[in-house]
Amino acid sequence: MLWLCFFSPVQEKHALKALAGWAGQFSSFVFFDTERWLLWLEIGASLRYFGSLQLLLEKVAEGLNTLGLTAATGIAPTPEAAALLARQMQMTPVLQLNHLRQAIASLPLSALAMLPAVIAGLQASGVTTVGELLALPRDALARRWGMQLTDYLQRLLGERPDPRKPYRVPQTYYRRFGFAEPVKTVEGLLFPLRRILYELQGYLRGRDAALQALNVTLRHHDHADTVLTLRTTDPQRDAVRLFALLREKLERTQLPGAVMEIGLSVAHFVAWRDTQLHLWDETERHDAAWSDLLDKLRARLGDQAVRRLGLRDDHRPEKAWCVENDTATADLPPAFPDRPLWLLPPRPIHRLPKLLGKPERIEAGWWTGEDSSRDYYIAQTEEGSRWWLYREAATSRWFLQGIWA
Amino acid sequence: MPPPSLISRSRALPPSLGEIPGVWRGHELAPVKARSTGYVALDALLPGGGWPIGALTELVPLIEGIGEVDVLRVTLKRLCDEKRHIVFVRPPYIPYAPALLRAGLPLPRVLWIDAAHDEDARWAAEQTLREGAAGAVLLWSHAVADRPLRRLQLAAEEGQSLAFIYRPAITLHNSSPAALRIVLRPAPGALGVEVLKARGGHRGAVLLPVHTSI
Repeated sequence: MLWLCFFSPVQEKHALKALAGWAGQFSSFVFFDTERWLLWLEIGASLRYFGSLQLLLEKVAEGLNTLGLTAATGIAPTPEAAALLARQMQMTPVLQLNHLRQAIASLPLSALAMLPAVIAGLQASGVTTVGELLALPRDALARRWGMQLTDYLQRLLGERPDPRKPYRVPQTYYRRFGFAEPVKTVEGLLFPLRRILYELQGYLRGRDAALQALNVTLRHHDHADTVLTLRTTDPQRDAVRLFALLREKLERTQLPGAVMEIGLSVAHFVAWRDTQLHLWDETERHDAAWSDLLDKLRARLGDQAVRRLGLRDDHRPEKAWCVENDTATADLPPAFPDRPLWLLPPRPIHRLPKLLGKPERIEAGWWTGEDSSRDYYIAQTEEGSRWWLYREAATSRWFLQGIWA
Repeated sequence: MPPPSLISRSRALPPSLGEIPGVWRGHELAPVKARSTGYVALDALLPGGGWPIGALTELVPLIEGIGEVDVLRVTLKRLCDEKRHIVFVRPPYIPYAPALLRAGLPLPRVLWIDAAHDEDARWAAEQTLREGAAGAVLLWSHAVADRPLRRLQLAAEEGQSLAFIYRPAITLHNSSPAALRIVLRPAPGALGVEVLKARGGHRGAVLLPVHTSI
């Protein structure tokens, strides 16, 4: 077993509980101590899943970061040793039991989880470090300070088992967050809401679950609660997406009064794996959304405004493209020379910019009676724009027809 | 708003402790999700290493015809390769089909919305972004006010796609709610890319080689 211990990331009972729910995504064995503000994760079993200790810690760090948390951590083979390291901000992990004694020897006696009176008494008799205490005969310590002390030291060093009860996450999710001062604006609600959603995301990952509906209850001092229900078409568990949806909803909500407390609850979950199967593949999902979107755009802007592009078999640049309907277009694979992104209706120009390279002769359309023999050039203006110009052979006049954007 | 007490920052660590591995300092924002621009130098400059996903990127070319769209070419091509759509909303000129093909954007993947008014264009961009149906939306807009841009930023967040808005240089006088704000300027044989504002990053500038294929 290998334990990761957080020291006092939060000092609020239900916040610590919520954090334990969040931590479930990293470990199936999580427990916490609200007296000492400590939270433990057994990570020995998770290492294989995450690949390495380094990768696991990166994920944990990233997660803490999104929660806006700062926490000291300790890693050791026993829960008490991990707690000791966390409290002392000893960030070098101790991975093996036989290295533990040496790793903690120089820590001050006061860092140990013992009664203040015991610590004071030991200090008075000249013991100041953990190492010095561990060097003393255990039976003498037990006689003088009681079995509780030696029991603790044995659990610290892994000399006797230290069974703990894992925290069982509740089957429904409920999280509330009270404000110290009433909040009058929606903006003020967003900050804690985002964090709650990140906790929820961790909880959902831990349970391998997703949701399709959640409730947000805003408690007011002198008005009935404001209740918002968010429903999603597809199962969700992404905090960023849920936050965006909720924010939009909140911003359209008229608050009857200041908010004292936020509550977020989820009554039903769906299994995430099923969700993934249900979504087929990403492309199909996008395609469905795409056709809905085209319908919506055409309904408001008109069919003419929503355009697909196609090619035509014509050498004249202005006729080599067309607007296509939906069903069209197998792409011809033409080997076009360099062409500008923007095509303009030909515009006469009078001051010729600097021409780059050789001209490209385009002759077409003579059979229709239009003489369109042209020499095309790439040009660079003084300001630095790249233009596509041509000189009409018949008239020697210059035109601008394209821009490299 | 009162200080966020959900998570109490219970320990004031001395600054030096912030450098010890394993001590994590809280930040308000989640890490920036991004897609590579295809340019190493530009990726290095942008938070998250590329164009932000689910956020609005504002591009302000000082003049046209300097590679202001070409800078997106690699990203757009990769999106097409992933069978996503690219939407041009109210571009200043006709997007030329042969140039799109040459840039590796198959025509069925490209949609051109030729809206009559700036407002319609913004509406169309917002709908497209919100649905997350397209891989990227490129909008040309003259809107100066903050609010329309904020709506686009929200829609981009919701749909988690790439959102680019091209705005005229005059709008630089106003602040912008966009997550990323970039000025594009001509340079000899290159495109100057200057980051004016980057949420989760910082200002800076790079020169990119100019391609002529788009």
